[in-house]
Amino acid sequence: MEKYLVAATKSTPKISLNPVTHSHEISGESYPENCSKFYGPVFGWIKEYLAGVNGSKVTFSMDILYFNSSSSKALMELFELLDAAASSGTNIIVDWRYHEENEVALECGEDFMEEVSSVSFNLVSYS
Amino acid sequence: MDFFSQKQQFLQDNGVILYFNGPVSQDVVEGVGEAVRSKLRHEAAGVSMMQRVFTILVEQMQNIIRYSTDRLAEDENGAETAWGQIIVGLDEEGGYFVSCGNKINSKDTQKLQKKIEHVQHMEPEELKKYYKEMRRKGPDSDSKGAGLGFIEMARKARAPLSFSIEPLDDTSSFFAMKVKA
Repeated sequence: MEKYLVAATKSTPKISLNPVTHSHEISGESYPENCSKFYGPVFGWIKEYLAGVNGSKVTFSMDILYFNSSSSKALMELFELLDAAASSGTNIIVDWRYHEENEVALECGEDFMEEVSSVSFNLVSYS
Repeated sequence: MDFFSQKQQFLQDNGVILYFNGPVSQDVVEGVGEAVRSKLRHEAAGVSMMQRVFTILVEQMQNIIRYSTDRLAEDENGAETAWGQIIVGLDEEGGYFVSCGNKINSKDTQKLQKKIEHVQHMEPEELKKYYKEMRRKGPDSDSKGAGLGFIEMARKARAPLSFSIEPLDDTSSFFAMKVKA
């Protein structure tokens, strides 16, 4: 598989998915006009990747400063995908990164953490 | 509008940080969002307040793009533009508010009203539960987004969502909503 790289814009996050290091990153803001248009191909890549990941440790580093309600739904879909893979044996770690003053980002991370059962979900603050 | 009434308007708009009445597109959302953020940053409103105001602003503006019946033709990339009004300001209590206004189809009035009233007086825990339930579930067939916008705004608001729907003519009504951040 090829790497999946998209640079951040004002309303869409940077996406960096690496099938060699298994270290993936989503960072920035997410409030596009059309969420499925932006996230559809990302999730397509991830589904194919998870199907062939075979025992490697998979890390997702997420630092999302702000996301709108449609992105929230899209991210939920992502965590459902990851949780399903984790429950069938893939070691998946999600680091939800947030600035220590950004209470909203922390609350959002907690909301997602409560929704997953098999992914190792960490809340990581930075200053 | 002559210069005198323009000046009156300017002086009257005490507490108004931003007033926008015109075609709203995603570019406008990003531009207005940035303008409001920099104003709040300048006022040292704090990260959380800035996030709450920004969240309400984006949800309201994207609602205008999705649901205002005053629409312009889509551009070649499929980007949508619709007419609407946005006001961001400080209220009597010294807190921020975000208001929006746009035309809607009168036959959607009841549904819209029900949707807002449903979340209007929910407690924070109830809102959180409902938000999560709706996030896992698919949106209503008539929703163009995730169907979470009003719940999201209610979660970020310091007072119940307030709104008004006034008939304009046989087919259309004016929808306005004010949310205190």
